[in-house]
Amino acid sequence: MFRVALKDILARKRRLVTTGLAIILGIAFLTGTQVLSGVLKESIESLIGTSYQGIDAVIRSPEEQDLGFGQKIRSPIPEALVAQVDEVSGVRKALGVVETTSAQLVGTNGKIVGSNFGPPTLVYNWLNDPLLQVGKLTEGRIPTETTEMVLDFTSAKDAGYKVGDQVTVSSQKGSEKFNLVGLMGLGKDGTLAGGAKMMFFTTPTAQRLAQLPAQFNYIAVAAQEGTSQEVLASSLATALPDAQVVTGEKFTRENQKSVSKFVDILTTFVSVFGYVALFVACFIIYNTFSILVAQRTRETALLRAIGAKRKQVLLAIVLEAVLVGLVASVLGLVGGVALASVLKAFVGTLFTVQSGLPTLTSRAIATAFIVGIGVTVLSGLVPAWRSTKVPPIAALSDVAVDRSSVSRSRIIWGTLFLVGGTTLLGLGLADAGPNPLVLFGLGAVLFLVSVAVILGPLIAAPFSRFLVWPFTRGTAITPRLAGENAARNPRRTAATAAALTIGVTLVTLIAVMASSIKASVESTVNSTISADFVINSSTFSIGTGIPTTAVVEARAVPGVALASPVRFAPFRLTDSYSQQQAAAKPAKEQQSLLGAGDAAPPGEDTFMLGVEPKSYFEINDVGTTAGSPKDLLPGTFAAELKEAEKRGWKLGDKVPVYFAKTGVQELELAMTFDQNSGGGSYLLPLATFEANVLALFNTDFVVYIKTEPGADLAQVRKQLDAIVADSPAISVQDLGEYADAQTAPFDTFLAVVYGLLGLAVIIALIGIANTLSLSVLERTRELGLLRAVGMSRKQLRHTVIGESMIIAVFGTAIGLTIGIIFSFALSVVISADSPGIFKYTLPVNQLVIITLVAALAGVLAALAPAWRASRLDVLKAVSSV
Amino acid sequence: MSSTATETAAAGSIEASKIYGDGETEIRALDEVTVSFEQSRFTAIMGPSGSGKSTLMHCLAGLDRLSSGRVFIGDTYLDDLSESQLTELRRDKIGFVFQAFNLIPTLSALENITLPMDLAGRKPDKQWMDTVIDTVGLRPRLDHRPSELSGGQQQRVAVARALASQPQIVFADEPTGNLDSRSGTDLLDFMRHAVSDLGQTIVMVTHDPSAAAHSDRVIFLADGKIRDEMIEPTADRVLDLMKQLGD
Ligand SMILES: Nc1ncnc2c1ncn2[C@@H]1O[C@H](COP(=O)(O)OP(=O)(O)OP(=O)(O)O)[C@@H](O)[C@H]1O
Ligand SMILES: [Mg+2]
Repeated sequence: MFRVALKDILARKRRLVTTGLAIILGIAFLTGTQVLSGVLKESIESLIGTSYQGIDAVIRSPEEQDLGFGQKIRSPIPEALVAQVDEVSGVRKALGVVETTSAQLVGTNGKIVGSNFGPPTLVYNWLNDPLLQVGKLTEGRIPTETTEMVLDFTSAKDAGYKVGDQVTVSSQKGSEKFNLVGLMGLGKDGTLAGGAKMMFFTTPTAQRLAQLPAQFNYIAVAAQEGTSQEVLASSLATALPDAQVVTGEKFTRENQKSVSKFVDILTTFVSVFGYVALFVACFIIYNTFSILVAQRTRETALLRAIGAKRKQVLLAIVLEAVLVGLVASVLGLVGGVALASVLKAFVGTLFTVQSGLPTLTSRAIATAFIVGIGVTVLSGLVPAWRSTKVPPIAALSDVAVDRSSVSRSRIIWGTLFLVGGTTLLGLGLADAGPNPLVLFGLGAVLFLVSVAVILGPLIAAPFSRFLVWPFTRGTAITPRLAGENAARNPRRTAATAAALTIGVTLVTLIAVMASSIKASVESTVNSTISADFVINSSTFSIGTGIPTTAVVEARAVPGVALASPVRFAPFRLTDSYSQQQAAAKPAKEQQSLLGAGDAAPPGEDTFMLGVEPKSYFEINDVGTTAGSPKDLLPGTFAAELKEAEKRGWKLGDKVPVYFAKTGVQELELAMTFDQNSGGGSYLLPLATFEANVLALFNTDFVVYIKTEPGADLAQVRKQLDAIVADSPAISVQDLGEYADAQTAPFDTFLAVVYGLLGLAVIIALIGIANTLSLSVLERTRELGLLRAVGMSRKQLRHTVIGESMIIAVFGTAIGLTIGIIFSFALSVVISADSPGIFKYTLPVNQLVIITLVAALAGVLAALAPAWRASRLDVLKAVSSV
Repeated sequence: MSSTATETAAAGSIEASKIYGDGETEIRALDEVTVSFEQSRFTAIMGPSGSGKSTLMHCLAGLDRLSSGRVFIGDTYLDDLSESQLTELRRDKIGFVFQAFNLIPTLSALENITLPMDLAGRKPDKQWMDTVIDTVGLRPRLDHRPSELSGGQQQRVAVARALASQPQIVFADEPTGNLDSRSGTDLLDFMRHAVSDLGQTIVMVTHDPSAAAHSDRVIFLADGKIRDEMIEPTADRVLDLMKQLGD
């Protein structure tokens, strides 16, 4: 029996590869990202390791605030502390370090270098100590004058600067020029690139750019010969009880971890698509094996007739699945390494990656084999089991054709699955259970499986016939044959289409959500902001922003009625409700910190806006209010009604709030509003804001401009443009442009997601091609007959292509339907959460394009099988059995 | 070549040879066969297994190509035609009936009958269609799929298809081979009727002397050569001749 199975497989080598192709792609993707992430992490870690090698201890503020989206910000420490540290025994050298993202590098082309998604741009002060200074000079000299700077060599090249040039740097104080006196790089000899764009200045300049008057981000300490990091750290901790001390080693590890975490998130994100691809591959394997088993019915029956046991028949097919899985895993691994190499070359343009081919980790190999073989065998089990039910008598029957039909149990099971899936989806959406996301995912899979695989066959035949119906008027026979061919095996058609359904469902879901979010943002902006222009900054980096002078200048522009600045800063709510919330959260991982721990009281980190009450509420519609903007005096704040109610605050209450600069402050709730126009739940009058936040945040992130009635808008805009002309990151936008700018980052994300989902679609195409090839093989005799009675090669090709298009459109139609249902369900939940904001919008154009692309994809998938079918030798085909 | 033969004949071959393999394993399936089939006549081809009957028929019907010599349908020489011209010729000028599996399982009986015309994008001649369908006697079954028809009914649909486009000539390779004698006789009667009353031209391969007896003329093939022929055959005379040739 083993030999029979093996012979079978070897006789069908090519099919082995095409069947495995889907698995190969999935595995390649999965292991490729895994291998790459390993390489990246190692490279980054060694880069950071060598950069911070000379630092034996770091002294910093114990206060740290969460900015959300994974970013944290630590309070600065006073400059005077450096002298104190210098006194401590065991210290060879202590230097204050400025390390912020508060300025941008402007290239020779006048544009900001880098994007919001790439590695950050950092402002440093150059440390006059070869051990404490990160990296080495590669050219020129260190900055000694306040007008001088050093750049890392990669950024200098990207921006188009060389030593001796005037470099433009943009900060919230506007653009400035510096003399580029040297270049530097990371590593022992300065030859490594770090990815981040690094700008080094003299300490006073760096402090000015970083908004750190007489302050540093941390102090880097080098130990005296013979003093260990631990000893140094503990003597520092005793000497400076209010500061936090960490050893150099720990500091390095912290930095490595934060970057590794980012790589991990990225890897997980990309891996998700690998899993989607494998899920799609399951359908293809299942389908291919179903067809093979059906076609081999006669052979199987013959084996059974001559005495093979059921178990042996089952084993033979499982064996084939194992072999397919094995081959696919090996090829997938090879593909993974290839993919990783290509990606590595790309990443290598950003920063120095270890040289050589990415090596396979044992984990990648294990993943490949377990997933590859596991998926193949699992997908092949059902068809294998079905094959054991072939009675020996079937050997005597005429043709072995998969005549799947629709049974009653299919309807029952399909309905059960559908109800189960819908229930789980609902529970997930309703945030029930410990892990709603898992419930939602599970529900989505069940729903998809029930519709695509179990119920799909019920509608496959009528759908196929319906689709070709408009084309079958008169004597047109090819569409009719294509439709009938797709309809003759509803189960096969449905299972093949299902692979495409998954990709299309996801694409549709994302497309609908994206267009809805865009529409929502647009409508929110248009309905709640009555500004004519907005001065907006294109960078997200903390510390960059619109110079505070801009609003003053804008007010002086003739025709401007109102110019309303808005600022942004993190703060911590420390009222009793927030403290409870914080306590309910899982405890932070224990940090082996010396000196002061987190000095701030527990509470919830969130953010607030600093606004000018008089103008802000003129321009922004915040709905019904209690209290009035006039009440927003220094020491007060306004909150969204929903939040105030949740926390049990009433007008006039004093709410304890923690600020990094001023510690805990009692603020009086002077006003509530019920419509958060996407702006934020907590509004502080600028007087309160300015007094309490770090200088870093005392910069406008947006300025709303309202003109006087009858003002010449073009003229006003021209003058506003002039105000921000020397800051390339800052621009003047009208409301439409402003709304677009809000959703622009989203487009990049979407492009990436679509690209990755393309993988699932490609795999689905392979599936369609595979099914068609097998069907063509199965119908050889019929095709020969058609050719014999006068069907031309072209007509035959069109028949096969037509069938493929039907399958593709069928899969797409179901995918569109499910995608729209899912997205609608999500929108209902979102709307229930925040009524009136979410605008469910179907991107009709995009959905039409998706359908057309799918139909076109159907044509592509059919090309090879159609060509092969049309080349059949008529006589041989007619006389084949 | 004799031009007179081509003018009165519906089809034929001139020194047609078909050689399979080469060198020592060479098989001469057809060995310089010259034959012609007259219009409105029913010709049977007989001969032992492997004598080249099917090969001759396939070459005449444009399903296969000769190694040397020529075949023609009406005044068209097939050897000069391209693949797509051959396909069109099969579609418009030739009907073909195989021993079994003649029908497309996804199409109804009627659709199978009109298939060649549908492929050509031509409208069937209504009157002729009615004649053919009534002659085959399948009117109540026209909407049925092949799987819902008996073997004999399927073959009759196949013959109806072969006749439906009013081809120059119909080739049938053992059309009764898979049928019981009753259905076989029905089919043969029908073919006889198509020739005598409707003026069709049919060439049929058969192993059965009583089937051959329905024809106007029998050609005997052996080892790729024409050995003999008989006009107005009867079953007994055919059987005698077969015995004679077998010796
Ligand atoms: N494709 C082929 N390759 C090689 N030899 C072939 C091929 N087709 C037919 N032959 C040989 O050509 C000869 C004639 O075959 P053909 O099929 O014409 O015989 P036949 O008279 O139709 O026989 P039967 O009565 O059994 O159908 C046989 O010897 C056969 O083996
Ligand atoms: Mg034969």
